[in-house]
Amino acid sequence: MTLSSSSGGPDAAGARAAAISVASRARASGWFRSQTSRRLSFGYLLLAPAVLYVLLLVGAPFVFSLYLSLSDANVGDPVATFVGLGNFRAALESDVFYIALQNSIVFTVVGAIFKGLLGTTLAFLLLQPFWGRKFVRGLVVIPFTLPISISVLSWKWMYDSQFSVINWFLSRIGLIGSYGSPDWPVWLGQPHLALAACIIVNVWRTFPFSAIVLLAGFTSVPTEILDAARVDGTSFMQRFRFVVVPMIAPILLIGFLFDTVFTLSDLSIVYLLTQGGPANATKILPVLAYQVGIQAGALGRGAAISLFLFPLLMPLMILLLRNLRRREY
Amino acid sequence: MAGPRTHRQKEIRRHLWIYGLITPYIIIAVFPIYWMAITAFKQDPDLYRMDVFPLWFHLAPTWKHFSYLFTNTNYGAWIINTMVIAAWVAVITLLAAVPAGYALARLRIPGAENLGIAIFMTYLVPAIILFLPLARVVSMLGLQDSWWALVLVYPTITIPFCTWLLMGFFKTVPVEMEEAARVDGCGYLGALVRVVLPVSVPGILTAVIFAFTLSMQDFLYGLAFVAPGDQKPVTVGVPTELIRGDVFFWGSLMAAALMVGLPVAILYNFFLDRFIQGITGGAGK
Repeated sequence: MTLSSSSGGPDAAGARAAAISVASRARASGWFRSQTSRRLSFGYLLLAPAVLYVLLLVGAPFVFSLYLSLSDANVGDPVATFVGLGNFRAALESDVFYIALQNSIVFTVVGAIFKGLLGTTLAFLLLQPFWGRKFVRGLVVIPFTLPISISVLSWKWMYDSQFSVINWFLSRIGLIGSYGSPDWPVWLGQPHLALAACIIVNVWRTFPFSAIVLLAGFTSVPTEILDAARVDGTSFMQRFRFVVVPMIAPILLIGFLFDTVFTLSDLSIVYLLTQGGPANATKILPVLAYQVGIQAGALGRGAAISLFLFPLLMPLMILLLRNLRRREY
Repeated sequence: MAGPRTHRQKEIRRHLWIYGLITPYIIIAVFPIYWMAITAFKQDPDLYRMDVFPLWFHLAPTWKHFSYLFTNTNYGAWIINTMVIAAWVAVITLLAAVPAGYALARLRIPGAENLGIAIFMTYLVPAIILFLPLARVVSMLGLQDSWWALVLVYPTITIPFCTWLLMGFFKTVPVEMEEAARVDGCGYLGALVRVVLPVSVPGILTAVIFAFTLSMQDFLYGLAFVAPGDQKPVTVGVPTELIRGDVFFWGSLMAAALMVGLPVAILYNFFLDRFIQGITGGAGK
């Protein structure tokens, strides 16, 4: 408003004919500008709640966790003193940290391989038209839609040391002896089996997600493009390699990154199945961070351990960011 | 005559192949839920034995484990807590995400696209990095040991996701409708409230469902922030409170899991495609 009136002032004092056209132009652009600024201020007003919430409860805590990790803060004593990189050094000097780091990587990588295999084969099956496909699809995605802490309980019961239904099958088909025999697997009590058991639950939960993401990718390829490629005389493999794969690659990458971020930072499966035991065999970084930070009350130490996840997650996030930027509307 | 029949035989053979190949996946996916369900209805003597076929009843099914939950545990309170938390989270999410999604989609804010992506990326900052500082925030606000702590923190998951989802949704609402409303004398707010929101009900409803289902997927925040037994949401109460010492009462545990898991799984099932579309950036739109 001030802009348009100040530009209107000199106009009134100037030559008449010119003044009219300049004034009306000024008024028009002033109207447009005030309209724009009104639109923008309305926009920022609408954005404010979401942006503030995210800044205050994600941004600020993230910065705060950096601060915590550099202090000796603990639950009992609110006054923290600065200890520099002491917490990080302490983590790097403890054996359990390396065990947790290694287990986290094994957990994520082995899990990714198996859910990739199961998810891809399932997606190819679901891509075929067949009677009852929607229903079948609804059934196979159940593991992903169940609340995680709920479905882990069912697995804990299936892994029971004495009444495991898995062992009942294995024993019936003669792979293992009966309860009490030396080859009776105690799923959550033997180090290697326990880690495998946790990976199995993670794979079970997320292979439907891999399949559905892959399906979404396949169905996003317009059939016209495939037809055009066919008219041009390409073979099936060529169409797959040069049309389908490049078109679905970004979607697959996003699905893969999502899953990796969530697998790497998930605490619930291991916490509920084994609490990181036996003898740290399933200790992963999130469980270690929880046990140190909340159960032992050493907030600073815990924050330092959970921040070690960040360099692992960062490259994934950057990749994801670049991918989201490139997508078209 | 021969043509259609061989075609039909081919189709039947193809179906048999597909069903044969996909059955193992269905069994893998559904077995833990079946095991949960049958355990919930079995009497204890039927449950703890290895000499008979475990996948069916050998004694009459019972409701005992279900009634035990409501008479001897806080299960009823957890369900109510969960519902109330979800309702609050949905309200807060909508109040923040609907305006933000609309502003990013429609008001031509400079850098809207990048801002939208930045908000969405916070959905990916994992709880495991935020839970310790948030524990401090929660105790500073005096919310520790009550479910209000979860009302405060769950929107950090749902606002980024729903803003992103609604931003995509508002882009599909025809601009002409708004312009017509503005020509008729509505301001920006008037056009939003009177024209855009009414046609956006499906999108808003989807956001409500996600506010509910995404907060049901949390375990860490509930575990870390809410200690008293009667304040927990059901997804934390069942695994932490129903296990007494080292004794597992699998019948009632599985009954509790089944009653929560099944409705949520079914509800989420219907909205799964929207979730996938949301995270893959509108593929297959």
